Amino acid sequence: MIKYLSLIAALCCVLNTSAQEIDADLIAIKERMDAVNGFTADLKLDLEAPFINMPTKHASMKYQKGKDIKFSSNDFVVLPKRGLDFALSELFEHPFITVNRGEEILHGISVKVLHVIPIGDESDMALATLYLDTQNQRIAASEITTKKQGTYKLDMQYAANQDSLPNYVEVSFAIEKLKIPLNFMGSDTKIDRKAMRNIDTKTGKIKLKITNYKID
Amino acid sequence: MMIPLLKAELFKLFRESKTWYAITAVLLIEGIILTAAYYQGATILELLLDNLRQSFYFEGNLLNGNLLLYIILNSLWFNLPLILMIVSSALITEEYKNGTLKTVMLQAVSKGQLITAKYIASFIFTALILVLLMLTTFILAYSIFGNGDLVVYLGTLNFFPADEAFKRICFAFASGLLSMLFFTTVSLTLGILLKEPAKTWIASAFFLILCSLLLKADFGLPTVERFFFPKLTNAWQHFFDYELNMNSILIDNLLLAGYTAFFALLGIFLFTKKDIG
Repeated sequence: MIKYLSLIAALCCVLNTSAQEIDADLIAIKERMDAVNGFTADLKLDLEAPFINMPTKHASMKYQKGKDIKFSSNDFVVLPKRGLDFALSELFEHPFITVNRGEEILHGISVKVLHVIPIGDESDMALATLYLDTQNQRIAASEITTKKQGTYKLDMQYAANQDSLPNYVEVSFAIEKLKIPLNFMGSDTKIDRKAMRNIDTKTGKIKLKITNYKID
Repeated sequence: MMIPLLKAELFKLFRESKTWYAITAVLLIEGIILTAAYYQGATILELLLDNLRQSFYFEGNLLNGNLLLYIILNSLWFNLPLILMIVSSALITEEYKNGTLKTVMLQAVSKGQLITAKYIASFIFTALILVLLMLTTFILAYSIFGNGDLVVYLGTLNFFPADEAFKRICFAFASGLLSMLFFTTVSLTLGILLKEPAKTWIASAFFLILCSLLLKADFGLPTVERFFFPKLTNAWQHFFDYELNMNSILIDNLLLAGYTAFFALLGIFLFTKKDIG
């Protein structure tokens, strides 16, 4: 009896899932982003991590539709693997379903909260929560949980209401403790094991200020 | 009288074949360390950036001349003083061994002036070797591996832009020179005490090893340890703290210069009080 009930429940789930459609607001945002064929912009990067000291860095980025974003810099720069996919191409690369989680207030504006759940195993993403600014048709924030690279939180700010590309992105990420080769340490560098244990996993942030957009 | 004495000491020093052997050895060590630093640098970067690599792209090259210079700085401060101490102590021990000190003292030269000239000759030799080493490592490191940002680990991962890294490496070499002067001065003082070259070399090597062991030792008395000379010989490393504490670095270097002056004065005092022979 339990077997039959389980089978019926599983069938219901499958039927319900296949009936799910991608949220219309998300599609509208994707279409708006698809209108951008490419752009170049200048980046100012500030990395904040508990055990990394890095001065402000500068780089430039170049996006061409259908291609990966390219970065160039005269300095050594650290750039997040996630968070700069403004065209949402990574998100739309593999099939997924969306679940509307209602409305929330974020930075003083009402946003639509959407869960994006990939179907199948191809996607590296396990779950994404998108905060859609439906009025201005753009992503206000997101939280992406990946299968291998932890969870990322993205907060985007825009210079003007009509802008589709952000002028400020803050990427928060979890970072594991450092593995330090002893022979690289200064001769009098002490290992504070207690502190090292405490920094097992910490949250870091990369703040990106994006200027001089040249949109095609 | 001091200038002719100093010239004579430097002439004797550079006439000695062991001085040239020492210079050749220093340059060979530099070459070996540079080669090892390249492979060590690649491994270090791989390990240091491993957990960042999962989440980030890196743009730029960290395995560059600045990283190699930093690794060389770390490796050099144990190997170099040993050679410099052997050459410096020979300034006095060879005179004792060959009995030439008595001949020199037959001239109108005071014992104080003679030994002071030997200390100054040792200073000049040490500084010249350091300058030679600095110039050759800079030329080799930058011409082969290029310029770029520097990453070091001192409790935190510190990244420095290339121009800032260059400045800090130059300061570190200057501070390292003070450490070298300290060790060579001690070796000359040991030479005055022990007279025999072999005994002086063993004592100098022991002193160097002891300093390097005490440098890492933690006695739980940070305020006392702060002024203990083995800890001060590593003052150059503080130029790679992310936030520079120039006051602290200045105090460390002044203290080390004070210890150097103390050992030199002790040597001069002992030499003038001792009978030649």
